[in-house]
Amino acid sequence: MAISKKSNKKIWYKLDLSAIVYPTLQRKDFSSVYRLSVVLKETIDPDILQKAVDIALRRFPTYKVAIRKGLFWRYLESNERPGPFVQPDIKNPCMPMPFKANNRYLIRIYYHECRIALEAHHSLGDGSGGMYVLQTITAVYLRLLGHSISTGGFVLDVDSPPDPEELEDAYMRYANAQVRPPRPGEKAYRVRGTKEPFYTLNIIDGIMSVKQVMGVAAKYNATITEYLNSVLLYALLQKQSHDWHPKLRPVKIAMPVNLRRFFPSKTLRNFITMVYPSIDPRLGEYTFDEIVIHVRNYMRYYINEKFLRGDITTNASTQRNPLIRVVPLFIKDYTVRLFYTKVQDRNSSAGLTNMGALKTPEDMKPYIERFDIYMGQPFSSRTNCAIVSFDDTLTINFASSIIEADVERYFFRKLVQDGIHVKIESNR
Amino acid sequence: MSYCVNCGVELDSSLPSCPLCNTPVIHPGQLRQASPYPLERGQVETVKRKDLGILLTIVLSATSIGCALLNLFVFNNSLWSLLIIGICIILFVLSIPAVIYTKQPIYLSLLLDGVAIGAYLYMITYLTASDRWFWQLAVPIVALATLLAEILALCIRKLPVSIIATALYIFAEAAILCIGIELFIDRYLGKPLSPSWSAIVLTVCGIIVIALITLLSKRRLRDAVRRRLHF
Repeated sequence: MAISKKSNKKIWYKLDLSAIVYPTLQRKDFSSVYRLSVVLKETIDPDILQKAVDIALRRFPTYKVAIRKGLFWRYLESNERPGPFVQPDIKNPCMPMPFKANNRYLIRIYYHECRIALEAHHSLGDGSGGMYVLQTITAVYLRLLGHSISTGGFVLDVDSPPDPEELEDAYMRYANAQVRPPRPGEKAYRVRGTKEPFYTLNIIDGIMSVKQVMGVAAKYNATITEYLNSVLLYALLQKQSHDWHPKLRPVKIAMPVNLRRFFPSKTLRNFITMVYPSIDPRLGEYTFDEIVIHVRNYMRYYINEKFLRGDITTNASTQRNPLIRVVPLFIKDYTVRLFYTKVQDRNSSAGLTNMGALKTPEDMKPYIERFDIYMGQPFSSRTNCAIVSFDDTLTINFASSIIEADVERYFFRKLVQDGIHVKIESNR
Repeated sequence: MSYCVNCGVELDSSLPSCPLCNTPVIHPGQLRQASPYPLERGQVETVKRKDLGILLTIVLSATSIGCALLNLFVFNNSLWSLLIIGICIILFVLSIPAVIYTKQPIYLSLLLDGVAIGAYLYMITYLTASDRWFWQLAVPIVALATLLAEILALCIRKLPVSIIATALYIFAEAAILCIGIELFIDRYLGKPLSPSWSAIVLTVCGIIVIALITLLSKRRLRDAVRRRLHF
């Protein structure tokens, strides 16, 4: 485990394998920030929420940190400055997060009417880790209001010390395949559009019934994730065919897979890897049924413990290489940024994440209306889609920094054509 | 509740139009409710670079004072320290908007940069036999370059910005600068004022400027160029 005690107070953590990349992409107008929010049934009291944050964050030492630069790597250092403070919500979420602002905290907590929102820099952890933080804050908040909320699911016991496994870099434990499969490298279709002014984030939320979507997905003999992936691929294919294009390119989706499902770990830090379901229109015109079959076969072939182990071994091999380890940080930053901009970012047409059905303690359910998640501002001009469900409410949240909403339009129209009732909310 | 007639989705009662296709919602019987999203826009907190500002000021002042003392008491055969002190002043003035006072208006920053470069050139006159070159050549060229930089900043800030428009400003100003430099050199050398090499630059820049103005004024042409040159 990457923890070293410098003194009684100063504890520091190495960045995990995924987290190394995110700070290098930091620009004045871009940070890898994601947002998770919960809509309760009562209006939020900011004073009580602040107390809940102060109590709950003690349980999450890797979220109460500042990021610092070393000679070879960045690291996280425990942050004892005042904060983080809750603040009224804003119209443009997932704003850039300068590392030295906000008392050096890498999380923000907002409230608006019945909503509590947590924004976290991806270098701290992935959506699952963030969900533990959000739900634990919510549970403490409800307890402070006098409700009895038990622990379980994503709610951790704030009185117990953090489990060392929660702080580990789980990638290194499982990156032990004997072969390193190559990374997929073909350039994908990129959505072009008119850029919005500096850090505007356009949000379109689609709210629907889980049962209805499940019923439609079952008709195609697919799971909800497979079906929604297919709909997004279909929307992107439509967009590409309607746009002016010099030549057709494959349409690919970057989809994070939660590795905790395959490799047991309690880590609250990043533990995801990317898979890229894709359709190549150069092979011919795909019907929607064919897209679903293709996506279903891809998912069932690639998303398993063996392939994922190979994938994380490939990613870890770079970090383990002694020659790379001794290269100064500024050269690593330059190389990683160049690789990301020229290869990784061009490798997918859109992002899609599905956090699945969220579990909360039974006694917390009556106070919760729904959850929303946003993948945050895309690195280049495209759209990101995040899906989460709670009880019978499935929310699909699109976030983009371009004016055109063509992909979203094709996506939701397809759902409506398939007989799903969609309610739209937006900050546009 | 309202539905979009194009997309078939139900729209939240706060929405004035469908966010997917911009079709307006017309529902005379329904009052528009407040948006579930906040209306206030957030601003990114500006990071104070106080420490870097202090460090930079100390390093530059220490270098200047150290060189001045060495020049006064040890290596005192010429005023060589003025060259280093001048460079330190220029670096300090350049760094003011970046690390010391980030709210300084760009026009003032550019003016101060011009003044700092002028001051540095004036310091050099102490190391040369005469200061005629400074008054007749350096001052007019620095003043012209500063003025053009101010105009460029004004154009980029106040006029519509695009790659083509910015290229237009830069080429136009490059032509003026070259003409100015050659005329100032001619005057300094006592020759009659007649552009030679700068006339070639002026012609090339003129052709480019006319082409860019044509591109900017014809939308169809602009779109065609954008389509063919997109990357």
